[in-house]
Amino acid sequence: MKTLVCIGCPNGCELSVEEKANDILVSGNMCPKGKEFAINEIKNPVRSVTSTVKTVYEEVPRLSVRTNGEIPIKYVFPLMKLINTVEVDHPAKRGEVILKDVFHTGVDVIATSDMNYMLRGVK
Amino acid sequence: MKSLNKIKSAINKNVNGEVYLKEWHKSIILEGKVKSWDDFIKAGQIAANKGYKGVVNNMEVEGFKSPPIKAPSIKDGTLDGKKVDVLVIGGGVTGCSILRELSKWDISCLLVDKEEDVAMHASSRNDGMVHPGIEPKPGSNKARFNVEGNRLYTQIAKELDVPLNRTGSLVLFDKKILKAAFPIVDARRKKNGLDKIKLVSQSEIKKYEPYADDNVGGALFFPSTAITCPYKMTVAYGENAVMNGAEISLNTIVLSIHKEEDKIVYVETNRGKIFPKVVIDAAGCFADVIADMAGDKFFSIHPRKGEILILDKKKGRLLHSVLAKPSLTIVKGNTKGGGIVKTVDGNILVGPDAYEQPLREDFSTHMENINAIANKHFPILPGINKGDIITYFAGVRAATYEEDFIVEKSEYVENLVYAAGIQSPGFASAPAISREIERITIDVLSKMMKVKKKENFNPYRKGIPDLSLMNENDRSELIKKRPDYGVIVCRCEEISKGEIIDAINSPIPTRTIDGIKRRVRPGMGRCQGGFCMPQVLNIISKEKGIDPTKVTKKGEGSNILVSETKQSK
Amino acid sequence: MDNYDVVVLGGGPAGLAAALASNECGGKTLIIEREKLLGGILKQCIHDGFGLIRFKEKLSGPEYSGRYIDMVLEKDIDVETSTFVTEIKKQGEEFLITIVNSKYGVKKIKAKAIVLANGCRERTWRQVFIQGTRPAGIYTAGTAQYFVNMMGYLPFKKCVVLGSGDIGLIMARRLTLEGCTVEGVYEAKSTPSGLSRNIAQCLDDFSIPLHLSHTVTRVFGDDRLNAVEISKVDEKMIPIPGTEKIVECDGLVLSVGLIPENEIAESLNIKIDRKTKGPFVDQNLMTGLEGVFSCGNALHVNDLVDYVSESGEIAGENAAKYAKEHKDRKLIRMNADSKFLYAVPQYIDINSLNQKVIAYFRSRDIRDKMTVKLLYDGQVIFSRKYNKLKPPEMERITFDISKLNLKDNGEINIVMEG
Repeated sequence: MKTLVCIGCPNGCELSVEEKANDILVSGNMCPKGKEFAINEIKNPVRSVTSTVKTVYEEVPRLSVRTNGEIPIKYVFPLMKLINTVEVDHPAKRGEVILKDVFHTGVDVIATSDMNYMLRGVK
Repeated sequence: MKSLNKIKSAINKNVNGEVYLKEWHKSIILEGKVKSWDDFIKAGQIAANKGYKGVVNNMEVEGFKSPPIKAPSIKDGTLDGKKVDVLVIGGGVTGCSILRELSKWDISCLLVDKEEDVAMHASSRNDGMVHPGIEPKPGSNKARFNVEGNRLYTQIAKELDVPLNRTGSLVLFDKKILKAAFPIVDARRKKNGLDKIKLVSQSEIKKYEPYADDNVGGALFFPSTAITCPYKMTVAYGENAVMNGAEISLNTIVLSIHKEEDKIVYVETNRGKIFPKVVIDAAGCFADVIADMAGDKFFSIHPRKGEILILDKKKGRLLHSVLAKPSLTIVKGNTKGGGIVKTVDGNILVGPDAYEQPLREDFSTHMENINAIANKHFPILPGINKGDIITYFAGVRAATYEEDFIVEKSEYVENLVYAAGIQSPGFASAPAISREIERITIDVLSKMMKVKKKENFNPYRKGIPDLSLMNENDRSELIKKRPDYGVIVCRCEEISKGEIIDAINSPIPTRTIDGIKRRVRPGMGRCQGGFCMPQVLNIISKEKGIDPTKVTKKGEGSNILVSETKQSK
Repeated sequence: MDNYDVVVLGGGPAGLAAALASNECGGKTLIIEREKLLGGILKQCIHDGFGLIRFKEKLSGPEYSGRYIDMVLEKDIDVETSTFVTEIKKQGEEFLITIVNSKYGVKKIKAKAIVLANGCRERTWRQVFIQGTRPAGIYTAGTAQYFVNMMGYLPFKKCVVLGSGDIGLIMARRLTLEGCTVEGVYEAKSTPSGLSRNIAQCLDDFSIPLHLSHTVTRVFGDDRLNAVEISKVDEKMIPIPGTEKIVECDGLVLSVGLIPENEIAESLNIKIDRKTKGPFVDQNLMTGLEGVFSCGNALHVNDLVDYVSESGEIAGENAAKYAKEHKDRKLIRMNADSKFLYAVPQYIDINSLNQKVIAYFRSRDIRDKMTVKLLYDGQVIFSRKYNKLKPPEMERITFDISKLNLKDNGEINIVMEG
């Protein structure tokens, strides 16, 4: 038996997970996402990653980004390495894909700020 | 003059350790080894004022080794071979005011300080009070310069455009003490040449300070007490000197002094050898170190530390002057016991305390002292409490065992002048000390060269405008001329980008977060720079064209940032 | 002079929502923002988890605020950024607001109603009485976040985090991802201040230890921080002598609490609740001063932006309605008992047309299996069971007062029963 804290939402349900033969029993979850989270945590834990990338604009030197889905936890630091090599050279829009299909996970890294607004605003 | 043997036996009776005495240049030198710092101080105090010129305490203390003086690491030759008429060592209020008074004369003056800015030690670490001059012993240098300095400050503040409020101060007394205290205090007032003081009855206290605790016997009101900003005053003195042709070299430490016969020929610094005609020792806690370098150490500085609390401006309305309540009697040897001060910026300041400790540059604070200051003073202004404290800091006073200022020409070195042992009320005394040093220096210099006054000396220095205090029309006009004055960077203190840029480019330019804070106050408020500090850093970086990682809090080694992110490329 | 129905002070999530709601109700609306950009602190909160209630999505801070900014810019709402309010005066029924910016210099604006959406500030290391020297390298979590996320600079190589508030936890992860070593998170309380999921995903994922009942008592280093002294604390959070240990580090991150910014409210003599550190308000989020409303983190510190937006909407809507017409209030107290840290609103205006009350509360302690009840005149008017109540997690309840026949001499009491 293992206890976990679900990170799906601010409720932070305390989950009890029990591996039985071919089944994983989860209790303590207030919603189905909790179960999904617990099973993932046992089989293949995944996380979303948020960070920033460099830009060429002096006034807005960093652009915030995130993964648009979750990636296996083992890719978190490799993804940071990858993210750190990017330099955005145009006013990216919110939601714009900055890195596509990272580590063949099907997950993209997308911009989360609107650089046009940021550049306009600081002028 | 008491015999050395008598003094020695008095010391050895009261002090743990072995102490040896000898006379040198009319002073007493203490040697040997004692158990504790308390013993060290006690020995010095016993030897003091026994008819000798000074006490030089060269004893060792068991288990204590004095740390090296903090020195800038920079080494260059920017000052090498420089010839000046006067070299001032030390950029506190004493040194800066001396530099300013000397800048009236048609001579070349250079001030050196080892720190990144002026006013880095005691001059930015005191309560900003211009004491009336009641506490110093009649006939002492302290009494003379304090009373005179107090009077001069009105004009100085006007000339240098530094806020000064002559609010007076109210000293509360318990019933029993008040009756006894008044005649003693009044007699001393007459001796020291102060203006009249007023006996305030219990029922009148609220007229002076409506929120003071009037559950006391009464109070004495000292009308001449004033409050100003000690670091702004120091900077202003320095700036006015620079405007009038004097030079200031910061990050410059004196390493040694070279004499020929009884005259200083050159002063070696980390920036090269300086050849001055006259040297002025205004080195604060290190004044005795400088004297020693000149082979003239006839006194010792023992660092006396004090801590101070600053309260939120929100509580500023509770006080408009200075409030204190002495615990026993007003005439206490070492400490004035501190009080509560309404600063010129509207905060309430509480403290300082005073305690002996061996370190000259230790500005750390301690919980027990903070608590003791609060417990001692908060009751006299019942509306304030510990939750109002926004910051606290410590300062170190440059005390001598004689407990008096040394304002004189050296007896043994022809071209060395002392402004040493300047501790409380040193800030209040600065305008008077600097004039006396000016007189002495010009006197010494006149024997070596022709000295005349400058024709174009400008005593007026304009401070950086404080837009938050301006009327709306003037403020609008100024913003129209300089839009940066309309960009508020520090929200707690309402400081604009324009004011910050002015500070960066002022006559004593600064490029540190603290230097800007001392000049125009961003970060002085309740958020302590949480919001504005990164903005100030960016402005410094832009204005000075330096990388953000090179911007420091207060000089070398105090960089705010470590490195840029995303450097893997 | 410009005249507005509603002037919103602050362009963060609360102010943006307030302006939208005011505009929706037909109020001529202006947002005054002191920074260059709208969005408030969300601009730098690049982590995700925002908007789960509002948008049913896991957004980052800039995305959440970006959506609101887009909506505001589409509407007929005036915005003044880089603009600072220096003074507000009540003149008769209206408010005279003095602003300063580069565009106008000093300018006066008139408003019928004001929404205070000033947000909050962070408690500093001085306010938790850390002693020692004053070196560089000690920053609040928000300042560190600005350095890393907005400017792209690391303020430390190896740091200690004091306080387990959410921003502290988020910054522990963020700094780790950017290559800084986080030695540990220290919390003076015996329970964490932040959400459990943040302890899981920000600390546990990176093996960053959390030390409860420990605090930083002293810092060392003359120029740059070189070490901190950690002490164990007793139940009253007083450091225990003899438990000190020194941790070498060049950084200290403070996440020791947020304080609503209410200097403007105070300048208007608006009464502040000592528990929330925000103004006392009624269910319309009107403060003690008629025509002044409060919302978001200026009202009380929220843990979810979704509730910040909600309170902004309530304040903005009611401010616009107030600007159009208003009648006298009849306020009755809503008191929370000592088991609560606080409850908002603290008053109910029984004359108000708004009879659907949204209330927020926090439990003072961690409690299992509790029932929260609202009592009026000895009767239970609302009741809900909770499996667990924790101080870091704000709870929200709604109740209808239309059928209660509240009288102006009555009061509502909120109680917790186990």
